[in-house]
Amino acid sequence: MIEVKDLTMTYKNGKGIFDLSFSVKKGEVFGYLGPNGSGKTTTIRQLLGFTNADKGRCTINGLDCRTQTKEIQKILGYLPGEIAFFSDMTGMQFLNFMNAMRWCKDKTRTNSLIERFELETGGRIRKMSKGMKQKLGLITAFMHDPEVYILDEPTAGLDPLMQRYFVDLALEEKARGKTILMSSHSFGEIDRTCDRAGIIREGRLVDVEDIHSLKASQRKAFLVTVASEEDVKLLQSSGLELGGINGSHVEIFVSSNYDRFLKALAKCKVLEMDIPSQSLEQVFMKYYGQGGQ
Amino acid sequence: MNFTLFKATTKANWIILAIFFVIMVLYLAIITSMFDPVSLDNLNAMLETLPKELVAAMGFEDLGTTLTSFLAGYYYGFLIIMFPMIYCIIVGNRLVAKHVDSGSMAFLLSTPNTRLTIVTTQALYLIASVTALLGLITLSGIALSESMFPGELDIGSFLLLNLYALLTFYAISGICFFFSCLFNDTKYSVAFGAGVPIAFFVLNLLANVGDKYDWLGYLSLFTLMNPDKILAGDPFITIAATILIITAVLTYGGGILIFNRKNLPI
Repeated sequence: MIEVKDLTMTYKNGKGIFDLSFSVKKGEVFGYLGPNGSGKTTTIRQLLGFTNADKGRCTINGLDCRTQTKEIQKILGYLPGEIAFFSDMTGMQFLNFMNAMRWCKDKTRTNSLIERFELETGGRIRKMSKGMKQKLGLITAFMHDPEVYILDEPTAGLDPLMQRYFVDLALEEKARGKTILMSSHSFGEIDRTCDRAGIIREGRLVDVEDIHSLKASQRKAFLVTVASEEDVKLLQSSGLELGGINGSHVEIFVSSNYDRFLKALAKCKVLEMDIPSQSLEQVFMKYYGQGGQ
Repeated sequence: MNFTLFKATTKANWIILAIFFVIMVLYLAIITSMFDPVSLDNLNAMLETLPKELVAAMGFEDLGTTLTSFLAGYYYGFLIIMFPMIYCIIVGNRLVAKHVDSGSMAFLLSTPNTRLTIVTTQALYLIASVTALLGLITLSGIALSESMFPGELDIGSFLLLNLYALLTFYAISGICFFFSCLFNDTKYSVAFGAGVPIAFFVLNLLANVGDKYDWLGYLSLFTLMNPDKILAGDPFITIAATILIITAVLTYGGGILIFNRKNLPI
């Protein structure tokens, strides 16, 4: 459904995307993972036809993304990463406007989405909170029942309940055979919905894997506080992968060896254990290598 | 051309048109009411007390003796240039660059409409609104003159005067629109979209002051809108009209083509 081939686009500052190639099959949910500034949005701009490629091309349903935008938009739902509406309109006016721009007369899906996401449609968009704007953007992307979705960080700004509603909606659409490409900088966000994920770093696609093997390679860092020097030495000799040691605080990386990790800890006196929030680079050290900070 | 977008653009911008129309009609009414064939000499005497350069810069030098030439000198030399120019600067920037800068263009382009359709619709709005503004001023001018001084206005010449004002603003709005399409930042769109017309405006003022600065007029589009020559039927006005139309076609066309091809940071 979505084909990206040798896609290259360089910005003036040397950043950009380089020789990207991947494809998303019909009915598949594809996660597009990468830290901020890695080229996720740049790729999406190419798919939407907002920018010209230096090299390579991308197609959606066989249509060229730069030249056949009109045909593509008939079957595409898009959520921009940075949402800016016509701020003088109310939520409802904006949805009606977008429906009219798409020659979409049937409002039943729009209305059911408004109910589902508990969107307040009466107020001016200018006055809306970030979460409310995000909901409005999501409804705009879903309301014309497209075949393909391209969603740039869909859950940004949503509260946990709404994030769950979104995941449910994405899974429903997947069950109906829709194709979804969604970008994210956090693994947790796409973990529940995606079949496969592409990992991008500094504009290059590092790997495309199915989500289960990604889970297996995911590393978690545990910050363990132990009681004594001996415990620290014990952990050092346990064969576990250790990060920084600061007094009695020991950072331990665990990917699949949970059993060994627990057995080693069982021998020590553990005072405290914490899982600090991690960046994508830390989670996927395997892909980002030592080069990623 | 997309009618839904045209309607939305009108809704977002009509108030600006209304404000400029009201201001311009107020000035037109005041100036028309000042016309008095008998006391015109008094007015000229009053103007003589002002510095000659100032009077010349504003184009009030020769007010003539008929209502038509009076309006031509007093209204069509200066005010008819300044207000629509500011209108074009404000609206030109809002139609394209503002949508790109804020990112709302992303939503317009995520509908089944080509870039060409979107940008052409915005161009048509600017052309239509400038036409509406000057058209309404023309009608108001005729109505005001006929109500205050029935039969005094030479309507044919007055229409010709307004036609030239309209052509001038097709060219000026084209320049504003071109920069709005060219730049992704409203900062630059406004800097150039306002800078170029204002430079023309200032050059025109300086050129009016005296023979010494006459040559500056060749650098300004506003020189082409010369009420005296239009009323006199000077052959110069055919060339002027041609230059204005070509400028409008090139700037609107160029803006649309550039927007259709460029990279959008949205």
